[in-house]
Amino acid sequence: MRIDELIDSRHIVVCTGAGGVGKTTTSAALALRAAERGRKTIVCTIDPARRLAQSMGLAALDNVPHRVDIAGTGRGELHAMMLDMKRTFDEMVMDMTSPDRAQAIMRNPFYEHVSSTLAGTQEYMAMEKLWELHEEGGWDLIVIDTPPTRSALDFLDAPRRLTDFLEGRFLRMMLWPYMKAGKGGLRVLNFGTQVALRAVTRVTGSELFADVAEFFRSFEGMYEEFKHRSVRVRDLLGARRTVFLVVTSPSGSSLREARFFAERLAAESMPLGGVVVNRMHVVPDAGDLTGVRAGASAAAAQALDTYERWRALARAEERVLADALGTDGLPVWRVPDLPDEVVDLDQLRTVGALLAG
Amino acid sequence: MGTTLTGARVVVVSGKGGVGKTTVAAALAIAAAHADKRVLLVELEDREAFAPLFGLRRISYEPQHLAPNVTGLTVEADEALFEYLKVSYKIPSISRSLIRSRAVEFATQTAPGLKDILLIGKTITAAGETRDGKPVYDLVVVDAPPTGRLPRFLGAPQAVADLVRAGPIRRQAIGVHAAVVDPRRLQVVLVTLPEEMPVRETLEAAEHLAKMNVALGPFVVNAVLPPPPEHRDDARRDLAAAGATERQADAVMDVAERHARRAANQAAAIAGLRAEADTPIVELPYLFTEPLAYRDVETLAALMIEQEVV
Repeated sequence: MRIDELIDSRHIVVCTGAGGVGKTTTSAALALRAAERGRKTIVCTIDPARRLAQSMGLAALDNVPHRVDIAGTGRGELHAMMLDMKRTFDEMVMDMTSPDRAQAIMRNPFYEHVSSTLAGTQEYMAMEKLWELHEEGGWDLIVIDTPPTRSALDFLDAPRRLTDFLEGRFLRMMLWPYMKAGKGGLRVLNFGTQVALRAVTRVTGSELFADVAEFFRSFEGMYEEFKHRSVRVRDLLGARRTVFLVVTSPSGSSLREARFFAERLAAESMPLGGVVVNRMHVVPDAGDLTGVRAGASAAAAQALDTYERWRALARAEERVLADALGTDGLPVWRVPDLPDEVVDLDQLRTVGALLAG
Repeated sequence: MGTTLTGARVVVVSGKGGVGKTTVAAALAIAAAHADKRVLLVELEDREAFAPLFGLRRISYEPQHLAPNVTGLTVEADEALFEYLKVSYKIPSISRSLIRSRAVEFATQTAPGLKDILLIGKTITAAGETRDGKPVYDLVVVDAPPTGRLPRFLGAPQAVADLVRAGPIRRQAIGVHAAVVDPRRLQVVLVTLPEEMPVRETLEAAEHLAKMNVALGPFVVNAVLPPPPEHRDDARRDLAAAGATERQADAVMDVAERHARRAANQAAAIAGLRAEADTPIVELPYLFTEPLAYRDVETLAALMIEQEVV
């Protein structure tokens, strides 16, 4: 499979991978290339390095698409946006409930913590935004960068985890005195639960409980909607016109993660397109140099030493790549390490061309 | 302690993703161990990052021998919470499993910062551990979350203290915060690559931490290239004279020129860091190998000792 076939035919490209492997660069380079090939493209990034963001005209993290000034062919356009997690959460709450209730939720001191720090929230919001962009219509291609979570599980589990959290049985049990038992009343607690309840109440104090209970009460009735949304996002992710790319660097540690991501996606029956290996050290082949070395001057020997070191590294990287990803037929796209950092559109274009091979 | 670490018991090693902070943390531990310190190397939750460097699959939740004078430990929120409850509240053992699964679900999900407090708290407790009146460890090295998450991680105690207005959790949060901002107890070592953007992010992180009153140790610049081959014009000519084909000479010189270009970019980035950093800078070389193994950690440790980090 060639990269151009993917970006020409798919509707959604999801770039996943650990932090620091160049996911945002890959996302932006693919989006730029797709736009220049004639597709109306939006790239949604999570936390781009500042200069890369500036190169795409993204000065502010404002959660709305901005058109990037490029010369696209045909209907090709590039738009870019940065995900604002909290704002996406706010908008979702406002969309799901009455204005009064939304206000009450957002006033709760606990809400801010949940909307900005709860594990899984960022992943959930990225998916919520993906859905919105999809629903909005008009985009030929949506390229979405994912949060740099170390655990692949977080990403696919995010909708379920958030739903579980919001309707968490245990939580509600803990909170019953503050929630006035709710519908159906309270069933008899077993001894162990009572002990646990007492222990945790003692540790946290009751004020926190009151805030938390209020928070959960305000979400009453919204759980079904959360569930509904996570199911449809999952369907969208698993659809034929979606493709996942796992992005990695050629280091042993990030390749281990890449493998983890690939396995997880396969286990979830998600459409994995292949692996992008950024910053590979690709060395042109000079064949056998022993004869040359024998007659080399000091200056030539230094150049040969340098060459041999990089060649050994390039070979080692190919070995760890083969060890990590094996021979399971996954397409692998190698992007050679560029001597300069990728911070402007021209360099993104170069990366796109290298990806396309 | 040597010249560059301030003498804090807990050294928190952080950096942007992909800069090699795990390797640097391991090397720092080995370096300190060579300087006759008893070192605890802490991994937070199931990152499984250290293990391959020591030829292991994972680091256990119980202290585990990794190398002479180096003990490894994975710190996990539920273990830490359980220990805390056991010690502070004498929870009967009958409810142990229940507490573990449910109290942790509660603690970590309702008040997100609580989990970070537990992790930091447990690490600080380990640093203060004594046996027969003597400290068990001289130094605790933590492979911390990446710089993007570090302020939130180290700021969690303060945040929880603001959110929880009374009770033991508040007291615990305040206690942990006091340790985080005490330069004799904790300092942060930031690792960066010698590239412009990572350096800038590192300096921003340093500034943020300084505002939080967290002590900063040395900056570690990882993966610094050796100097490029000199007299490259001569080299090209000499290669041809030594019988290299044009293709061979092109390949060799292409690599040499790229190396020179990268090294120049690195030098500029390091100069930028030197111009702004208020603490010492330690440089570690690019290792030209993958995957990294224990011998590579030893190499870096020796260079840290040479630069008087410990």
